[in-house]
Amino acid sequence: MLEIKNLHAGVDGKEILKGIDLTIKPGELHAIMGRNGSGKSTLANIITGRENYEVTSGTIEFNGENILDMLPEVRALEGIFMSFQYPVVIPGVNNTYFLRAALNSKLKHRGLKEVNAADFMRLIREKLKLVEMDEKYLSRAVNDGFSGGEKKKNEILQMLTLEPQLSILDETDSGLDIDALKIVAQGVNNFRNSERSFLAITHYQRLLDHMKPDFIHVLIDGKIVKSGGMSLAHELEQKGYSWLEA
Amino acid sequence: MKQFQKEFDAFLEHFSEENPALRDLRLKAFNKFKEIGFPNKKWEEWQFTDFSLIKNSNFRLSWNSELSTIPKNIPGRIQNTYLILIVNGHYQPRLSHLPNEVSVEEGIKYFKSNPEVYSIDNSSNPFLSLNTSMMNSALPIYIKNNIIIEKPLQVIHLTTDLSDKLMNHPRFNFHIGENSEATIIEHYIGSTSTSYFTNTVSKINLEKNARLNHIRLQEEDRASNHIADTSYTLDRESQLEATSISSGSKLFRHNIKLSLNNEGASARINGLSLTMKNQHHDQHIVVDHASDSCQSHQLFKYILSDRSSGVFNGKVIVREKTKQTNADQSNKNLLLSPNALMNSNPQLEIYADDVKCSHGSTTGQIDSEALFYLRSRGISKQKAMELIVSGFAKDIIDHIKNIDIKSYVSNHAFTWLEGSMKNV
Repeated sequence: MLEIKNLHAGVDGKEILKGIDLTIKPGELHAIMGRNGSGKSTLANIITGRENYEVTSGTIEFNGENILDMLPEVRALEGIFMSFQYPVVIPGVNNTYFLRAALNSKLKHRGLKEVNAADFMRLIREKLKLVEMDEKYLSRAVNDGFSGGEKKKNEILQMLTLEPQLSILDETDSGLDIDALKIVAQGVNNFRNSERSFLAITHYQRLLDHMKPDFIHVLIDGKIVKSGGMSLAHELEQKGYSWLEA
Repeated sequence: MKQFQKEFDAFLEHFSEENPALRDLRLKAFNKFKEIGFPNKKWEEWQFTDFSLIKNSNFRLSWNSELSTIPKNIPGRIQNTYLILIVNGHYQPRLSHLPNEVSVEEGIKYFKSNPEVYSIDNSSNPFLSLNTSMMNSALPIYIKNNIIIEKPLQVIHLTTDLSDKLMNHPRFNFHIGENSEATIIEHYIGSTSTSYFTNTVSKINLEKNARLNHIRLQEEDRASNHIADTSYTLDRESQLEATSISSGSKLFRHNIKLSLNNEGASARINGLSLTMKNQHHDQHIVVDHASDSCQSHQLFKYILSDRSSGVFNGKVIVREKTKQTNADQSNKNLLLSPNALMNSNPQLEIYADDVKCSHGSTTGQIDSEALFYLRSRGISKQKAMELIVSGFAKDIIDHIKNIDIKSYVSNHAFTWLEGSMKNV
């Protein structure tokens, strides 16, 4: 589904990713762990198409198509989603309106009929239950006045609504208390199936204990230095990262 | 100045039968206008705006006899409202319809019984004097005590069908009696592409415990000049909700004065300016807290695209010895183009202690984080920008309570937005 080959990329002429190779197949959940500044979020931003990042060499293919020249919105329509580390507040833009506009954009892209307001409300109420969010958050502006936990739940709510093929979870566990973490992890776990893939970026084992990734990769200074299974996460929790550094 | 003298002389000749006191007032006002002259860059309160176009354009007055057919579908008409229609400065009683409780006396009658309303005060605003000298569509709207008018009253001042460059000097007096309540839409529209000049003055008076929703819509043609002076006087416990939405005219200057003259009066005055191409919007607001326990809230937003420019100058004055004043003032501006320009100057002048005041001003561009966030959800860049910009304007529009007016204003703002975003 996602195939990254020898990716070199950076910002303002500074190289951050120094040759990443990563293949994610349908149904797999991969986790990337690493210290601050190791390039984890850069990788997420490059896959989703944020401006100002420069790919100097290498390729990213999604379902066999090169995505590097696609606009962020096109990548989203093709099935890539990112749960933001810092969800953005958008004053004056109603959360329900935004969610429906996003869903309809996707439905239209697939040649399907757009959903009307009433049907959308039914749909979104179902999804709200899955992340244990209060309905009041629907009538607010996007992320406006949301607590840290509610913002992250709102990200998962969007994922559940838009049903992407590839979901990138950028530090979705940061700023969450134990209860919210469980709800978010549960939301992701219930959403998993043999078609959908995930890339979870995190500092901590906590989230991974709930999600049981198929693969864990350690990113140090822009390179994946080690890959393994869940046991690697436990090892990192005990030993830290220094034993992996050259 | 010569042209204005010529038009003034023609005006006096045309209305030679006019009440002598009014004629005297006009002469005094015109002399004062000549004495003050047009604003120049050295005048602190007027420095950001160039009035030479008005000075040099040879505008002339329009005469009732010149008015050709009036369009069947009046532009800008808002559903479920009463109508007062003024076309090219001429009141159209037959096309207007009013509730029984509202009386529109002809200007002269009102002038006789309320001379103080027309006196030339100490204002140094030359356009106020110019308006008084040639006010040609003086229309007082008088609502008696203890009357609630449910349906909004829409006053449409339409400029249309021009061959020459016309000017008009409308003068409105809105009087809301004790315990009375009304919604008034003061609506300026242009449907012509010939340059013209509207120089309007509105004096709005709320008596004890009166409530007014005042919606001011400035949708003049972009080739026009619109100068306005709006003054609100609030008596005890009266409440004003004023919203001014302006998207028209090449040059727009609006002076707003809010006088909270008696205990417990409260007012919210909001404004939204939408500018594109080479438009220039300049608004000066003075809020005068002259009594105890008064409240005022101001929120003025500007959305500027292309090479347009804006000026916000807001001043809150809290007079000596007043108590329990609550005042806030906020100016927020969104620049859609690197060539757009905004000047913002919020000021507080506080001469009392028992005061809760705040003010602030921000100017910025579309938040790139917000833009990426929306796009990452599959929303196109164009649509995402529209969402962010309309979100910026939303709180101003949400303050309009009447659903028909709100829907008109939302549509208008959205149409503007679509037009302006094409070039971004």
